[in-house]
Amino acid sequence: MLSNPARVKIIWLQGITCNGNTHSFLNDPALGNFLESAEFIHHPLLPCKNTLKELVKKLPKSDILIFEGAYSASFERAGMAMETLLPALASKTSHIISLGSCASFGGIFKEGNPEQISGIVFDKEEEKGPLRAMREKVITLSGCPAHPKWLSFVIDMIVSGKRIALDEYRRPKELYGYLVHNGCLRNEYFEWKVDSHHFGTKEGCLYYAQGCQGPFTHGSCNKILWNEVSSKTRSGTPCVGCTEPTFPKSNLFSTKTYMSIPSEMPLGIPKRSYLALAGAAKSFHIKRLEERLIDDNA
Amino acid sequence: MITHELIERIEGEAVLDFKTDKSGVVQDANIRFSHFRGMEAILEGRNALDALVITPRVCGICGHSHLIATVKMIENVYRNAGVSIRISDKANAIRQITLSCELIQNHIKWLYLVMLHESAKMLGEEPGVALKALYVSSQVNQLCALFSGQWPHSSYALPGGVTCDPTHIEVMQALKILSDVECFIRDEVLGCDVDAFAQAMEHNRVLSLTGDFGTVLRNFERLGVLEQGKSHSRFLVLGDTQEIIVHSQHSGAIAENVSEDSSQTFAEGGNTYAKNALYNGEFFETGPLARALVQERTGISALHRLYGDSALTRITARVDEMVSLCAEVRELLMSLDLSQPSFITPPSIESISGEGIGIVEAPRGSLIHRATIEKGKIVSYTIITPTQWNLGNGTSMIPGIAQKAMIGAASTAKASLLFRTFDVCSVCTTH
Ligand code: SF4
Ligand code: SF4
Repeated sequence: MLSNPARVKIIWLQGITCNGNTHSFLNDPALGNFLESAEFIHHPLLPCKNTLKELVKKLPKSDILIFEGAYSASFERAGMAMETLLPALASKTSHIISLGSCASFGGIFKEGNPEQISGIVFDKEEEKGPLRAMREKVITLSGCPAHPKWLSFVIDMIVSGKRIALDEYRRPKELYGYLVHNGCLRNEYFEWKVDSHHFGTKEGCLYYAQGCQGPFTHGSCNKILWNEVSSKTRSGTPCVGCTEPTFPKSNLFSTKTYMSIPSEMPLGIPKRSYLALAGAAKSFHIKRLEERLIDDNA
Repeated sequence: MITHELIERIEGEAVLDFKTDKSGVVQDANIRFSHFRGMEAILEGRNALDALVITPRVCGICGHSHLIATVKMIENVYRNAGVSIRISDKANAIRQITLSCELIQNHIKWLYLVMLHESAKMLGEEPGVALKALYVSSQVNQLCALFSGQWPHSSYALPGGVTCDPTHIEVMQALKILSDVECFIRDEVLGCDVDAFAQAMEHNRVLSLTGDFGTVLRNFERLGVLEQGKSHSRFLVLGDTQEIIVHSQHSGAIAENVSEDSSQTFAEGGNTYAKNALYNGEFFETGPLARALVQERTGISALHRLYGDSALTRITARVDEMVSLCAEVRELLMSLDLSQPSFITPPSIESISGEGIGIVEAPRGSLIHRATIEKGKIVSYTIITPTQWNLGNGTSMIPGIAQKAMIGAASTAKASLLFRTFDVCSVCTTH
C-alpha cells in the first residue's frame, strides 16, 4: 500500500519512442477517474507539475515511474543522458512500469542500433538492461503499444496494495496469461483447420497462411478489446506478436510452413501430436465452416 | 542576445535557438531536433509487407497515415511493374474513413492540449486537464478501430484492400459515434452549428464565437499574436497522388519536384537531425491551411484574404478541417456498399520488383513514402514527413516556414507559441 493512496505520484518518462503508448493511454475512457487518484509529476503531453527541464534539475521522488520507449545510454532528455537520468529517477521510486515493447525488450527501435539499444531490464530475452539490479521493482507491460487498460490495471493494483502475479518477463499473469488466440472469433476455424483463404473476410483462421501469431503470443487483446470494440484478429489482421521479446519478426503476413504445416506450433503443443490432430480435424468437411457466414453481405 | 528554448508538450521535443534584439524582438530562430531513430534503415532488406507493421511506429499520433502511405506506395510499385492491382470502392472508402478519423482526433488533441493549454498558461490562467476533449478523441479512435481493429498502430490495410469485413452493425456504431463527435464540435469547440461557423468565417466574426475555439483565438488576441505568424504564403498539397497542386501557381505540381536538403543536419556539420523538404528548391507550407486553400474552401479563403497566413487563419483552418472531415466521413459511411469485396488478392509480392511512391494527406500535411523493391524485398526506403516541410530550418536570408513565422515576434515566448500553431511533431520530423 502506498503512503498516500489518494494521490499517487507518477513520473512518465520517454526514451526512444514514437509516443504510441502515450496516445494509447489517452484512449482510456476511465482517464478522468484515474486522474482523481493520480498526479503526474511529469507527463509528456498532459498538464503536470514539472516540465522536462525541471524534472531533470530536481530528479524528484515518485511512487511510480513509467518508462516508455527503448533505452540507450547516450539518448538525452532535456540535455541529460539516459544513463544518468533513468537510474536517478528509478532509485527514487517504489514501482517502475516498463510500458510497451520498446521499454520492455528493445522493440522496433532496437532494430536500428541493436548494440546500443535495449529494454530497461531485458534486452530481447536476456536480462541485461540498465535496471536489471532493480528488477524486483519493475513490472513489464509489453505490447506495441501496450493496451491502456493494462496500464490502468497495474496502477490500480499498486495503489490498492495488491500483489500482482508475474511471469518470467515480469508481465502480470492476469493480462499475459492468455494468448491472443484466446477469445479470437476465428477459433472454431482454427480447431477444424479451416484456412482463411484470403484477407478481408470474417471467415477462416489466419494461422495457416496469413502469419497469425495469436497461438503463441501472450496478451489479452481478444479479451480486453482495443478501443473497447475490436482487435487485430477481429478486423482480419494477423496478430504480429508485438508483446513478445521476439517482436518484430520478419515476413509478418505469411506463415512459414514445413510440408504445409505451420513451422511454429501453438504454445505447448508438440509437433507430433499436432500433426495427428490436424489430420483428424482436416478429415471432417464441415459445410458450415466452408461457407460464408452471411450470404448477402449487404 | 541568443537564447535556447526547449519546446515540450509536442510530439517529442525540439529546441529553438533565438536571436533577439535589445527589446526582446525575435530577429532569427533556429529549429533543432536532436532525436533520431533510423526508421528507413530498419526497413531495408525486409519483406515489403513488413513495412505495413513498421512504418506506423514512426509516429504514435499519425501512425495510421504512415500505414496508408506505405500501402499506397506498395500498390504503386505493383502498377509500375506492370502488374494490375485492384482495390474496391469499398476498401478505398474504408481507408479514407479511418484516415480522416486520425486527422480529426489529432486536431482535437492539438486544439485542447496544445493551443488552449499553452495560450491560457501564457496569460497566467491555470488550465485544467481537457478531459472532455480526450474523451471525444478516444471516441473518434473507436470509430476508426471498428474498421482497423485498433488505434494506434493497426496494420489493417494491405495491397489489394483492407483486412476487415464490416457489417451494418459496425456502420451503425460508427454513425452513432460520429453524431456524438459532431455534437461535441458544435457545442464545445464552435459554440454554434456549422452553418453559423461558415458564416462567421466569411463575415469575419470568428473571434466572437463562444466555444473553446473562440477562446483560443481571444487568448491569441490578448497576447497580441493573433495576426502574427505570417510566413511565405506558399502552399502545397501533394496528397491524392493524381491531383497535385501548388496553390500559389495553381499548376499541377509533381512529386519529382520534391527534394530533400540535408545541409543543416549533423551529418553535414549542422546541429539537427531533420532534413528539409523543398518543392522546386523552395520552402512550402503543407497541412490544413494548405488543404483548405487548395480546395478553395470559402471560409478559409476569406480569412486568408484578410489576415494572410497568420495564426488566426492557420488555427481556424485546422478547426474548419475537423468540421469538413466529419461531413466527409458521414458521406462515406452512408454510401458504403458492403457487398463489394474488402480485399482483392494481388499476385505475390515476391514476384514484384520496381519503384513506387505513396502520398497521403496526414494531419500535419503531405506525407511521402518512396521505395525500391526487388523481388518483394525492400532495397531502399525514403520517408518525407509533413513536418519536414513546415519545420525545416533555412538560413536568415531564406528562412523555413515556421522560422519565418516566428521572426518579428515580440518575445521568444510568443514566438514559441506561434511555432506550436504548426502542430509540431519531432518524432515524425526526424524518423
Ligand atoms: S486468427 Fe490467429 S488468433 Fe484467431 S484463431 Fe486463428 S490463429 Fe488464433
Ligand atoms: S493482437 Fe498481437 S500484435 Fe496485436 S496488439 Fe495484441 S499482441 Fe500485439
